[in-house]
Amino acid sequence: MTTALQYTLSGLAIGGIYALVALGFHIMWSAAKAVNFAHGDTLMIGAVLAVMGIDAGLPLPLACLLAILAGALFGVVLERFAVRPFIGTNASIGWMLTTIAVGIMAESLATMQFGGFSRPLPSPGVAGAISILGAGVYPQELVIPAVALLAMAGLHAMQRHTLVGRAMQAVAHNRQAAALMGINVNRIVMFSFGLAALFGAGAGVLVAPVIQASASMGVLLGLKGFAVAIIGGITSGPGVVLAGLAFGVMEKFVEGYVSTAAREIVGFSAMILVLVAFPQGLFGRREIFKV
Amino acid sequence: MKALYALGFALLAAILVVVPLTSGNEYELRLFMLFLIYGVIAVGLNVLVGLTGLVSLGQAGLFALGAYTGAILAIRFNLDLVLASIGAAVVAGLFGAALAYPSVRVRGVYLAVVTIAFGLIVENAAIEWQSLTGGTTGLSGIPGPNLFGYPLSGYAFYAVLAITLFLATLATHNLKHSGYGRAMLAVAQSETAARSLGIGATGIRTLAFAVAAMTAGIAGSFYAFLNAYISPDIFTFSDSVRFLLMVILGGAASTFGPVVGAIILTYLPEVLQRFAEWQKFAYGALLLAVMFGLPGGILGTLGQLYARLRPGPRGVDPSQGMPAAELLVGRKPASLETHSLTVRFGGLTALSAASVRVAPGEIHALIGPNGAGKSTFVNTISGFYRPSEGGVHLDGTDLAGIKVHGIARLGLARTFQNTELFGQMTVLENVMVGGFAYHGYGLPGAILRTPRFRREEAACRAAAIGLLDFVGLSDAANEQARFLPFGHQRRLEIARALATRPRLLLLDEPAAGLTTQEIDELEAMIRKIAGLGVSVLLIEHHVDLIMAVADTVTVLDYGQVIASDRPETVQADPRVIEAYFGGPSAILNEEAA
Amino acid sequence: MVAPKYLRRVFLAAPLAFTIPSSVLAQQEPCIGNSAAITGPAAFTGQAIRMGAEIAIEEINAKGGVLGKPLRFVQYDDAGAPPRGVDNTRRVALADKCIVILGGYHSTVSVAQVEPVHAIGIPFVGVLAANTQAIENGRNPNYMFRVSAKDKWVARFLVEQAAKVSKNGKIAFFYENTGWGNGAVPDVKAAIAKSGKELVATETFNWNDQDMTAQAIRARDSGADVALFWALDREGNQLVRSMDKVGYKPTIIGAWGIAGNLGELAGPLANGVEVVQTYSFMGNLDHKGQALWQKIQTKYGLKDPSQIKMGSGVANTYDAVYIVAQAIEKAGAYDWKKVREALYQVRYDGLVAKYDPAFDSSDPERQDAILPSEYKLTVWSDGKLLPIAQTPYGRTN
Repeated sequence: MTTALQYTLSGLAIGGIYALVALGFHIMWSAAKAVNFAHGDTLMIGAVLAVMGIDAGLPLPLACLLAILAGALFGVVLERFAVRPFIGTNASIGWMLTTIAVGIMAESLATMQFGGFSRPLPSPGVAGAISILGAGVYPQELVIPAVALLAMAGLHAMQRHTLVGRAMQAVAHNRQAAALMGINVNRIVMFSFGLAALFGAGAGVLVAPVIQASASMGVLLGLKGFAVAIIGGITSGPGVVLAGLAFGVMEKFVEGYVSTAAREIVGFSAMILVLVAFPQGLFGRREIFKV
Repeated sequence: MKALYALGFALLAAILVVVPLTSGNEYELRLFMLFLIYGVIAVGLNVLVGLTGLVSLGQAGLFALGAYTGAILAIRFNLDLVLASIGAAVVAGLFGAALAYPSVRVRGVYLAVVTIAFGLIVENAAIEWQSLTGGTTGLSGIPGPNLFGYPLSGYAFYAVLAITLFLATLATHNLKHSGYGRAMLAVAQSETAARSLGIGATGIRTLAFAVAAMTAGIAGSFYAFLNAYISPDIFTFSDSVRFLLMVILGGAASTFGPVVGAIILTYLPEVLQRFAEWQKFAYGALLLAVMFGLPGGILGTLGQLYARLRPGPRGVDPSQGMPAAELLVGRKPASLETHSLTVRFGGLTALSAASVRVAPGEIHALIGPNGAGKSTFVNTISGFYRPSEGGVHLDGTDLAGIKVHGIARLGLARTFQNTELFGQMTVLENVMVGGFAYHGYGLPGAILRTPRFRREEAACRAAAIGLLDFVGLSDAANEQARFLPFGHQRRLEIARALATRPRLLLLDEPAAGLTTQEIDELEAMIRKIAGLGVSVLLIEHHVDLIMAVADTVTVLDYGQVIASDRPETVQADPRVIEAYFGGPSAILNEEAA
Repeated sequence: MVAPKYLRRVFLAAPLAFTIPSSVLAQQEPCIGNSAAITGPAAFTGQAIRMGAEIAIEEINAKGGVLGKPLRFVQYDDAGAPPRGVDNTRRVALADKCIVILGGYHSTVSVAQVEPVHAIGIPFVGVLAANTQAIENGRNPNYMFRVSAKDKWVARFLVEQAAKVSKNGKIAFFYENTGWGNGAVPDVKAAIAKSGKELVATETFNWNDQDMTAQAIRARDSGADVALFWALDREGNQLVRSMDKVGYKPTIIGAWGIAGNLGELAGPLANGVEVVQTYSFMGNLDHKGQALWQKIQTKYGLKDPSQIKMGSGVANTYDAVYIVAQAIEKAGAYDWKKVREALYQVRYDGLVAKYDPAFDSSDPERQDAILPSEYKLTVWSDGKLLPIAQTPYGRTN
């Protein structure tokens, strides 16, 4: 029982990270029908820059804030120079490869600047573990899924109640129509990529105290975030967040009862199976085929 | 162009022969052998990426499957190089074909993610399944390359690799220039149109996946023999990216592009070594530079340059063609009947108990205001939509449950309201795609270029030229379809549909966007088509045209048939007049304006 | 199956097989090659090898080089990937014609190198990777040598230490699911069986795993009071944190994967974690160590010994280069075969150990130069990895 609770709590923490990353993929996909394959590296940039900020003598909150803003800027720049030139071309291979290339460059640059080692990000959230019914957990780990849920709710509110949020909805629904209505589609797409990167870098800063920051931390988290987005249904914000939390918990149970290599096998197989059974994901909107 | 290909193959052969004789030391030769192995993967992957337009970022997984299968067969069952490699090809091929299945449901980036997931699953399975794969420690002690129990010398093994790459390049070249290659390109450029021409898109994609997987499997087995050691970390996501980049860098869909890409990316790490810790950065920068600077790849860009500098003839000589009448001779026009056809989308009833009968050999027009259900009707009888109730019979054959390409093969051809051409193929190739269902030479015939293949290809070409002449496009035969003016694109679609030798042709608003003169020409052409013994179902707004050519007119309104009779009778029908909110003359005036 | 005669002739008669006898190509050059990780997460290990090799070679060349010619050092990046290590091996041997190739940090690479090293017949001297099977590979003649720790001996060393501190005789074993970790499993099991203690939990994990509470819970419930680690810093940190979370506090003793920056990563949780090393630049140095540290300071601009990540790698490489240089002098030729034989003749008083002799041709276990008696136990103490005798932890046992 304690073991199950331990797995659930640990799973929710890592699931919260998947959820935040997947939420970024949801935002980008809605805006551009394209995503940043280097989104995992956005997370890495957030974490690594926060640690480097501390190294430079900045106080923790300021370092984290600057790191998150830098991550968002990375998203904006990447959209402008690596994604936009390839939007609208028939195949998605263009932006897939350019963003992968930027990811390779970002990771290599980070390795050189930051070193190959993992580094800790000090946080009051990991100063001491607390015990819940015998299961140990850092306060930081409880904060992560809460932030993911807050981000989901915030995004929802923004899409409903703000002008830019409604414009994002319009662009997601029909790009051409939105342009005809006077919405600056390019600016909305750029904003969306920035917002997604903000969530990504935020996830990096949140998770760094728990799993430590390193140049190579982003790749797998990014891929899994995308897998989660597909499982949840990339068109549905709440869907991807729920799928992320569930995926994290499932991973912990597989890891606990089978093995860590089985974890990846089970996780990615689940993604393929969901995709075959529900091409639009569990909570996604079906896209109607038109001749 | 043909001479250029011959020159290319001669050059490739010469390089493959000269390199081992001139390489300074064993290391150089070995590196070149590594290139040969990567080349085989890239050439196979080109069929998937270049021809069929599907992105695989999991090729390293298939490479791993081949390597492990080959190694295990060699270690445990003492199989020789050839048998182990065949085993590897079969195992990888089966997995590749299975990977094609998700592509039935998902495309593009989704499919790419499925392939990434597949690669990661294979990598982790190799780690997890210790008893078979040796886990993370890997498999060592793979016997040296041998044939029939005799060990191969280094040069003999080299010869095996070199011949494999040469043959793989030749085979994919032949595949590309056959009906299968055209079908793959067609599926990539417009799946909808390809299916309506009798091409089973799923089958074609499965074939492409299987080809790419089998070559990766063979390459994997060769790799295991060359390296004598394999472990899971040889087959990572970044290797999959590299394999894909080989194809893109060299030039997707080109014959020699993947070979060029493989050679560059095999030797690149050697060059990048001097950048020390900057080498990964340089690799990323190069990838970026290729995507921006050479989107068509090296050979793709060179090919465009060549085409610009030495443009070939724009058209073909119509006398090389087989007259359309000859092509369609001896075919009986088909009848089409729908019984209380009902189609619902959610709560919306687009088509409600529509019963229509197209008599053999007649020109039957289907009209109705916007939203009357015309498009739904067309898409349902051609198999794109499933009827909720009722059924369709073509010459008495129930079409229920038959897929789009099956219906096309029964003799129903169609054009599209928004033209669905294969934009990056030539006009002539577009029409030749329509002949796909008549190729009897099979895959081996295409790869080996058998006499039967040559005969049937020549016939297919002649038929296509004849049809181009029939629609008046033979002087633009070598133009890319997307550069044709709009009116010509419509005619090309008709020629392409006729290439399936249909017994009933479905024209979906063929006059939309045409000039008055073009409409007159269309009118004559529809009569000529009917004269060839093809029933015509014409969906049109243009009342002038309908009144001029139709034998029977059916009017749809709110998904229901409100009239079906001779044109002049329908024109006088008060319900029809009401549906259009005005008199027949008003329709005429409105449409003419 | 019977091959047609002509086939046999074609495939067998090719006179130039891949295994060209080294005597034919005996124009090796005075160069020492190396395939190591220069990029990627383990780039610091390639750097450590580079430091040790460059300083040793400078010193040797200042005294006239070997056989009258200066030595060169060639290093290629394998990023920890076996296939690149294999390619680099061939490049070093056949294109650069080096006399000896030094190994890198990754055990999987070393295992993969066994095949090409023997196919070519170039002596290989490992300076970091500790995997037992890479060197004890059953080949004869064996071209694989090592001036570094060996997992089989490390396992014995650690188990002895564990037996000393364990109160209930129950030991838990955590290892990474890689060639290095898996390679150590039989060694640890054998060592524990021999010591008469009980192995009550065997837990594994993957690189980049972020949470190991599952493993920690199982080990805790098994009652082990000593935990052996075959982990790198990143995962070692997750292990101690997960143990902390589930309230499990065994004595931790690890192989040297956690000798990098565990102290920084885990903070106070790392205090008291013991690590085996072959050498440490921390604490009080003897005059040889002092001299080397000063050269590192000036040549690479380091300020504090704690900036040397993987100091054992620097020291092992430094010694290995001297041993190789002596072997070349003894062989009297830049020749792979002769140098291999001469390696068994070298006696040298080095930085890490007194090699007497370095290797022993009569004992297959003695392809390893550093004996377990030379292994040093260090301990994490407030972010620094100090020789255990110089810390409070040393006094308690």
